[in-house]
Amino acid sequence: MKKALILLGCPESPAQTPMAIYASYRLTQVGYDVTVVSNPSAMRLIDVSDPEENYVKNKNKIDIDSCIENLNEGDFDLLLGFVHKDAAVAFFVTFYHILNTKSMALIFEKDPELLEDYEKQVLENTDAQIVSARAYHNPNPIRVKLDKAIKSMEG
Amino acid sequence: MSFCLETHLQQSDNYEILIKQAGFKDCAKLIEEKAMSIVYIKPGEKILGARIIGLPPIPIGINDENGTVMMPYTKPCYGTAVVELPVGEEEIVKIKAVSIK
Repeated sequence: MKKALILLGCPESPAQTPMAIYASYRLTQVGYDVTVVSNPSAMRLIDVSDPEENYVKNKNKIDIDSCIENLNEGDFDLLLGFVHKDAAVAFFVTFYHILNTKSMALIFEKDPELLEDYEKQVLENTDAQIVSARAYHNPNPIRVKLDKAIKSMEG
Repeated sequence: MSFCLETHLQQSDNYEILIKQAGFKDCAKLIEEKAMSIVYIKPGEKILGARIIGLPPIPIGINDENGTVMMPYTKPCYGTAVVELPVGEEEIVKIKAVSIK
């Protein structure tokens, strides 16, 4: 079974948790075994939102510090990174360079200048597919673009 | 026992924070401006017992005379900081060994 890693950023963005659960659902639908990696505060939001582990299994939730420590090239077939802060760009680029696998950056931000800056940084430092939308509270613009990207990825 | 960056930052006050809650690019620029000498490493390279987060190439400032290094330190909710800490000659040799330029 193909393995996907969803890398979450700081939980400050309201769209992150619903999009994390949705992305896990969609990637599972297309045949991936999904692992979610984040800091403890972002994971607590996932835990409360998905109490029966319908979308993210507890065994597939990993703390970001222990994950990056033990991560190696080839561990995952797909990296999907949530990028909505400068630190999230740095983490995504780092995971990309360690894993050296097919990667997608899901970039969302309400400020158009910051959105453009994050897109530019990802573009300059990786060959990842960029899926970006101006969004903050409303996850729908990101969801629509993610659906399209997953469809095109599956060919 | 090998050096552990996380433990050092949590259990010692023997380090200096030069900037905090900043963007990675600003932190890289500060290291390039302030460091005595610089080596560059790949994102995710392990030095001082930790993988270093950032955009390539990641600058690490080295002061051979004082035995200190100046490096970016990124956390998801707190952005990037630049910390300068004493590490000893052996660790500096290891950092130089993994440099890409």
